[in-house]
Amino acid sequence: MAEQEEQQQPLTASDSPVPGSTRTGRAVALARLLHHECTQLLQLYKERETFLLDHAPDDGRMVSLSPEAEEPSTEEQVQLLHSALRQCLGLLHCVIQKEDEEWGKLESDYETLKENVQTRLEHLLHSTKDLVGDEDGTLEVTPNHQCNEEVDGAGGTFGLKMWIYRVLLELIHWADHAAKTLHVLHTEREGTAEI
Amino acid sequence: MPNYGSVWVAFVLLGISAINTQAKIASTVPQQVSLSANFFTQQLSISWLGGEATTFDLIILRTEFNETVFYDTVSAVVNQDGGQHQWTWTSVEPLECTSLSVKVRSREGKTKSEWSEPQILEGRDLPSNSDSSMFPQDRTVPVGANTTFCCIVEEGKDFKSILYGSTAMNVKRLSRRSYATTAVNQNMSGQTGTNVVCLSNDPTRLSGTVIFVGYPPLPSKFECETRDLIRAVCQWEEGQGTNLFRKRATRYSVNERDCPERQRCTLSHWDGNWTLLAVNLLGQYSLTDSAELSHRVHPVAPVKLTPVAHAWNATVLWEWTYSSYSSLALVCQVELASHNTTLGNFSGVGLRSAVLLDLQPDEEYKVQVRCGSQKNFWKWGDWSKALSFKTKPYVPDAPDVWMWMNRDNTGLVVWKPLTRQQSHGQIVGYKVTLWNSEGNEQHTEILSPENTVLPVNLTRWASFSGDNKVIATVIAKNVEGMSQPASVLLRLIDDEPPALAQTVYTSTGFPLSWQHNDNSTCGYLVEWCNALCMRDCPVDWIRLDAGNTNISVQSANFQPGVRYNFSLYGYPSDFPVLMHRWQGYMQELAPSSSVSLEITQQGCDVVLTWEEIPLAGRRGFLLGYNVYISNGSQLTRLANLDLGTRTYTTKGLSVSIHKFTVKAYTSAGEDTGGTASIRLESCADGVILEILASLGVVTLLLATVAYFCFKKRRWVKKAFYPDIPEPKLPGDWFRTQGPLDVKPPTHSMVHIIEKPERDSSKDALVVIPEEEEDDGEGIGDEPVDTDEPQSLRYYNQVVDERPIRPRFPDSSVSSSSSVDSGNTDVTYTGIQTSCSSLVFRSDSQSSSEGFQPHTGFSVSSGDRGGGYQPQMQPVALGGNLASPEPLVEPQVVGSGGYKPQSSWLLDSPTETDEKISPPPSLGSPTSVASTQFLLPDREEHEEERRQPSSSAAAWFTNLLSSAKP
Repeated sequence: MAEQEEQQQPLTASDSPVPGSTRTGRAVALARLLHHECTQLLQLYKERETFLLDHAPDDGRMVSLSPEAEEPSTEEQVQLLHSALRQCLGLLHCVIQKEDEEWGKLESDYETLKENVQTRLEHLLHSTKDLVGDEDGTLEVTPNHQCNEEVDGAGGTFGLKMWIYRVLLELIHWADHAAKTLHVLHTEREGTAEI
Repeated sequence: MPNYGSVWVAFVLLGISAINTQAKIASTVPQQVSLSANFFTQQLSISWLGGEATTFDLIILRTEFNETVFYDTVSAVVNQDGGQHQWTWTSVEPLECTSLSVKVRSREGKTKSEWSEPQILEGRDLPSNSDSSMFPQDRTVPVGANTTFCCIVEEGKDFKSILYGSTAMNVKRLSRRSYATTAVNQNMSGQTGTNVVCLSNDPTRLSGTVIFVGYPPLPSKFECETRDLIRAVCQWEEGQGTNLFRKRATRYSVNERDCPERQRCTLSHWDGNWTLLAVNLLGQYSLTDSAELSHRVHPVAPVKLTPVAHAWNATVLWEWTYSSYSSLALVCQVELASHNTTLGNFSGVGLRSAVLLDLQPDEEYKVQVRCGSQKNFWKWGDWSKALSFKTKPYVPDAPDVWMWMNRDNTGLVVWKPLTRQQSHGQIVGYKVTLWNSEGNEQHTEILSPENTVLPVNLTRWASFSGDNKVIATVIAKNVEGMSQPASVLLRLIDDEPPALAQTVYTSTGFPLSWQHNDNSTCGYLVEWCNALCMRDCPVDWIRLDAGNTNISVQSANFQPGVRYNFSLYGYPSDFPVLMHRWQGYMQELAPSSSVSLEITQQGCDVVLTWEEIPLAGRRGFLLGYNVYISNGSQLTRLANLDLGTRTYTTKGLSVSIHKFTVKAYTSAGEDTGGTASIRLESCADGVILEILASLGVVTLLLATVAYFCFKKRRWVKKAFYPDIPEPKLPGDWFRTQGPLDVKPPTHSMVHIIEKPERDSSKDALVVIPEEEEDDGEGIGDEPVDTDEPQSLRYYNQVVDERPIRPRFPDSSVSSSSSVDSGNTDVTYTGIQTSCSSLVFRSDSQSSSEGFQPHTGFSVSSGDRGGGYQPQMQPVALGGNLASPEPLVEPQVVGSGGYKPQSSWLLDSPTETDEKISPPPSLGSPTSVASTQFLLPDREEHEEERRQPSSSAAAWFTNLLSSAKP
């Protein structure tokens, strides 16, 4: 039931603002929704590529952060998060492009959810940008990935599938990270952990 | 001889030389052995320099395990350029799987050289390539093919298994790190291919490959045509799916021009000959087509359709996208849709319009147009967009008029509402005119459009009562004007209706059929309505042409369980003639009402009676009745009675309470039944009643015998009581006696007014013909002058309160009537009195003096002693044998019979005297005031005494006496 309720939420958190909710609260909710949908997307992917059901790669992060400060503030963490999410969006765009090149349109549920995650991620980028107050306009919301390099060292279609798998895992990781970071920001700014 | 030896030596040397030469050739070890691998095709090309040898032994081994993969003697092709020998070997396993060593040696027969130095094709399982890998990668194969895969595990890891999809495969080890498996007869893969995964003991490291299993292309129906009369548009069907997508999908080209569009390719000019080439990773397929342009014209859809609509026709105009169509001979198809869809063909050069005829006024239409080349027709072009238009209204059709006439010259003029096809526009009202044929009476009513019935009362129409006709004319009106008048002649159809035949409903309706009537040249009309309806019935009807002799009447208004009457009218003239009638049910149901049951006890029997179920409650044709008796909760059927029987007698029931149920039934079943109970009493009274009834029957029998005897009294008298001659007395005794000058009493003239047979229905008197009086057996011979007012008359009186009209008596009738009714007042006397006084008395019959009903006898106005009684005149006995009252006045009774005047007793006897000493009557003088013999007959008197209560016997005796003329 909870999943259904979440699925029925609008694609943008700002489309139907919750009365009394704050920007940070909406951003946390959006990040949690993104995390949920990324998890669902991975589930659908595994249902098609069954060999991945029991596979847990240890290839490390595809998207990594290099904080300048030893202990960055929450706002700095959100800025780093924003950067990571941009890379995730770039990777997702690349997944969409390569899958289309390789196989064309796949099952409708998978394609629809993929589009939803892309849109949700774009709006989360806007939200994080708004939250950290980008006065100088340095924060971008466009994908940070060119998608013109080999997707994986192994190459081939099998390598592409493995790479997509890793991208989906990365999306889940950074959506979860976003939810946690933004929740910290929300707690700091609103003085309450409740959303 | 020395010559022979030298020759032998020469041969030996030559042979040795030859052998030596062969040995030299075979001993030439192939040089410069080189390998060239095609990893995609898994082919290994081996080349070497082999000198003059033409056959070579070739051996291929897996280097690590020194396993022979291939060993054979081959005839290698010699490369003319460098004199190198070359041979190509195709490996089952991918060449990357493991290192292969190749060696070659020359062979001449059984002579072979040493092996060449082994040449090694390095596999990907060398220690220098420590990563895991799997081969082949991204292979595309046809459905049913076999493919061998090999997995090279990571250095230091242990091989676990190979999965083909989700299937664990059998594995063959090729080298220390390389393992191979073969998938045979492969099925079609999914859209993203079939995964082949190599698992090791490290679950975090996966190696694998994807294989795509599909079909080579197989397109069909390749043909080219033109739409604009310039370019060629070629189309085809892809046939079965190849299961290969995107970069593995089939590429199409027409005349070597790539066709990125799916299943079609547009060429800028008309080549006349085309070749379609379809290619994918699994193969290619080509199709060709050729035609002249004029044979392949596929017109585009007409555009900008415009209507020009009228009431009964319309013109549709359109335009063409390409001006080149203006010179093209076209045939066009126009689809016209309203309630149904019709197609019309039109043709012409550069056709741009079509006239649509036979349209309905005020009707919505939708029209589409498509065209084709009239010459060398290829195919219909595309349909244009649909165009809607509405025709203009027109005056309506004449309504279909009929009538329903009641018996009292009232009725209905009814007409069917005009359909949309008949109204030709919005109906605004009806004009109904009643008029007679002479035109001197007319009545008009204007009705709103929702009316379809006009009640009429023709009783005020003078012409209706005569032979002139009253005609109803109905005119429908719409915005465009008035319809033609529709008329019906109003007249009660009072012909004797034909019997109602039954018609059984079928799936198509009520089937009615009839013989063709030559007189009904104008057609027929079948009318039907609910059979229960008697007045102002909502009648429905259908008109038929003259040639019809049957119809199946169907209506959405037919209801189950309702009886419908159908009437067939013919039209020999302007007035319909009822020809046949039917009745039927759409579906028969069990009766909805039950019989009203009456129950009575008759003797020991129980009699059930009931009335018919009213028509409304029958709901089907009644077939009969079932009679049940109730045994507790169960009903036991006693009888099944036909429809005409509505009474049932049950016998032999015990004295208790009995409950009966009578159920009428139709073909659909029984009704709920009418129930009645009766407490059966002891039936002893019934025995008494039976006895009484038997006595009654005996009495009636006796009365019948008496009547018979009376009617045949002459014969009886002759047979049993012959005439006794008058006594012959000495002297003129009779004459000297002289007539008795006796004055009759006031009522001495007596007419016997006979009560006629009473007709209960008419309650009137029947005039008896005068002649019958003469035929009377008693009075006719009596010397009675009817003109003589003093004569004795004889009347019967009718028990009626009305004044009695004088009638001529008939003795026989009166006699019989007296027997029957007992109402006869008999006065018998020899003295006559005036008729008027009689009439007066008769008129005042209520007077007890003049009429003594039911008392058996009445003698001379009650004055018993005041009348003359002729000797031979019998006394008419009016006693009712059935009367319980005893006969009175025994002296009167005893006065019958022949009584000679001369026989009398000396003294007038008193009643007491008679009882004590009955004197003989013979010769006794008779008192003029008495109806009794002055000399009563002793024997007879004694007889009376003996049987004082036997009134019937006395009556019979008197009856015989009265029969004497």
